[in-house]
Amino acid sequence: MQRLIIRKEILSSVRDVRLQVAGIFLLSLMLVAVLVGRQGQQQIQKQRAEAQATMYDKWVNQGLKHPHSAAHYGQFAFKPKSALSFLDVGIDNYTGVSVFLEAHRQHEVLFSAAQDSNGMTRFGEMSVALVLQVLLPLLIIFLTFNVFTREREEGTLKLVHAQGVSMRQLFMGKLWGTYLMVLLIFIPVVCIAYFVLNRETAGLDPHNTGKFVALTLSYALYFLVFILLCILISAFSKSSTFSQLVLLGLWIVACIILPKATTNLADKIHPIPSQFEFRESIKEKVSNGIDGHNPSDVRLAELRKQTLEEYGVSTIDELPVNWSGIAMQAGEEYTDQVYDQEFSRIEEIYKKQNRLSEWVGFINPFLAIRNLSMAIAGTDFQHHVVFTRAAEDYRRAFVKKMNKDMEVNHKPGIAYGDYNVGEEMWSSVEPFAYHLPKLGSILKNQWRSVSALSLWLVVLFALVPLYIAKVPKL
Amino acid sequence: MLIARDLCKDYGSTVALKNLNLQVRPGDIYCLLGANGAGKTTAINLFMNFIEPTSGQAIINGIDVTDNPQSTKKHLVYIPENLNLYGNLTGLENLRFFAGLGGALPDKKTAYALLDSVGLQKEAISRRVKEYSKGMRQKVGIAIARAKMADNLLLDEPTSGLDPQASNDFAKLLEELRQKEVAILMATHDLFRAKETGTHIGIMRAGVLIHSLKADEIKLNELEDLYLETMKSNQYAATDH
Repeated sequence: MQRLIIRKEILSSVRDVRLQVAGIFLLSLMLVAVLVGRQGQQQIQKQRAEAQATMYDKWVNQGLKHPHSAAHYGQFAFKPKSALSFLDVGIDNYTGVSVFLEAHRQHEVLFSAAQDSNGMTRFGEMSVALVLQVLLPLLIIFLTFNVFTREREEGTLKLVHAQGVSMRQLFMGKLWGTYLMVLLIFIPVVCIAYFVLNRETAGLDPHNTGKFVALTLSYALYFLVFILLCILISAFSKSSTFSQLVLLGLWIVACIILPKATTNLADKIHPIPSQFEFRESIKEKVSNGIDGHNPSDVRLAELRKQTLEEYGVSTIDELPVNWSGIAMQAGEEYTDQVYDQEFSRIEEIYKKQNRLSEWVGFINPFLAIRNLSMAIAGTDFQHHVVFTRAAEDYRRAFVKKMNKDMEVNHKPGIAYGDYNVGEEMWSSVEPFAYHLPKLGSILKNQWRSVSALSLWLVVLFALVPLYIAKVPKL
Repeated sequence: MLIARDLCKDYGSTVALKNLNLQVRPGDIYCLLGANGAGKTTAINLFMNFIEPTSGQAIINGIDVTDNPQSTKKHLVYIPENLNLYGNLTGLENLRFFAGLGGALPDKKTAYALLDSVGLQKEAISRRVKEYSKGMRQKVGIAIARAKMADNLLLDEPTSGLDPQASNDFAKLLEELRQKEVAILMATHDLFRAKETGTHIGIMRAGVLIHSLKADEIKLNELEDLYLETMKSNQYAATDH
């Protein structure tokens, strides 16, 4: 019986010219987005990898120099483009591409695509995710808004019931029929996306397949939730017009109004300090101490006293090591503490904002899939944080190496300009390498979104047997 | 066999059907006559379990409809006034779909033969139903009944709006089913068709079955007089809604 209803639903939809046009349009749109997106992603990744190699090459070939000068000469870390970012660009266009790494300062990641492009970028780049999250649900609405109401209006519902079909059997048949219709559009996109993903071994992430499967399943879950919701509304609506209005209203609220409202609300509840406030706070803490009662000159005097005691000498000139190297590394470490504290504060604010959006996923499945999708695609804020941390760790390691060399090898009495090191030293610093988080940690981090989608599914399925028998048959 | 036992349906203070008692045996065509709102469709809807009775029982082949709504439907076919099938499916596909839902999925060849046997033109069988006339759709309905081999048929004004030829064809199909021992309950406004096709005739007014008689015991003009008299009489006005 179920198979008959499913087959009939598919046949009716496939023969509907309006749905044929809409389906082909969406399918074409997604295929173009896959191909263009993948090409763009590979191009950008190639550029960034080349830039990273060029910068490292410059570092290695910077010539003879004092290690501290080299620490200021600095390096660049380029954020690799996640292989799955061609499916969901997430917030990649707004988070910057590269960061300059030098002694004493943590720079921000700069040169976002949004800075370089026109205002249209702010409306979102055409990507597969946009079609899957926003436009495909619109097609689902047109597929489902009248699945029950039309049957009631045209009298076929009576005829179906007259054959001994219960409302629940009919509901489930319609649900799986519509779901298969949606999969008919979704699966070709998945297959082609997987093919283009694996066509060239540009994969930075060996876990791409796992992430791709997780992404596919997440969308499959999202569509099922959306279809269930739409069919339930159609079943309880008195007319097709009413059902269509309700569903379109819900779509506007879920996909347009609520995401914007959530962002604004998050910004109001957890405001981010301005760039000026942020920089001033760091300057203040470096100068007067983290607690405000430990000025830099006092810290330096204390360090000098400790160092002299350690080496059993009474003046800096008598030290067997380079005092400047020690002082700089100590200053570096103190500044790191200040930056860590300030960046953690900002990160925490961003995390709180994102968490709010994830919680709202429990009332809006669109937000749940949006957060989950960009997390799996490697284009969410968490991936940006992981990259900035990796870049910062790298900065600290190479600056420490320069300071240590200065401390140990730049003997007292040798003028700054007379102590230089070369290629052997520079190439002992490994090139910057960044590894994307694994699927397990992504899903763990996104537990709210995963739970929200699962909960939506469970609740909607639970509602079917509870309420479907109450749907009027006439 | 269809049995109504003290079957009642109220909508608040409005009486839609009052103490209906009737029996349609295999090989009977029971025609319910009456004006709009007389309770004919309510009676059929109660047998179909589209609505629940206020009291009394609708029984199909010995099974109470309210207690076993799904299982009773295996034994019956319903053809409403406007048999709206799925427009995007062909006649053949509609037949296979509805008969299949009823647990009697015919193969394509059998389905084709069934549609042919009810007089649907061959070229129409594979055409989408949205291009069908009402008469053609009613024929698909009869084909569904034949496919299901149901022993009870409920018809709610099936010939209204049909041209005389189509109406006559439909009556012939009903007669064929009657000869196969199908119990048929038909709500109709058509006195002539009721007299010609029916074995039993009931006249309803204001939810009450006023007269129940055998079709061969009354002439058409007598039936017409009785019907008009029943409609005019004030005797039943108290229960009118």
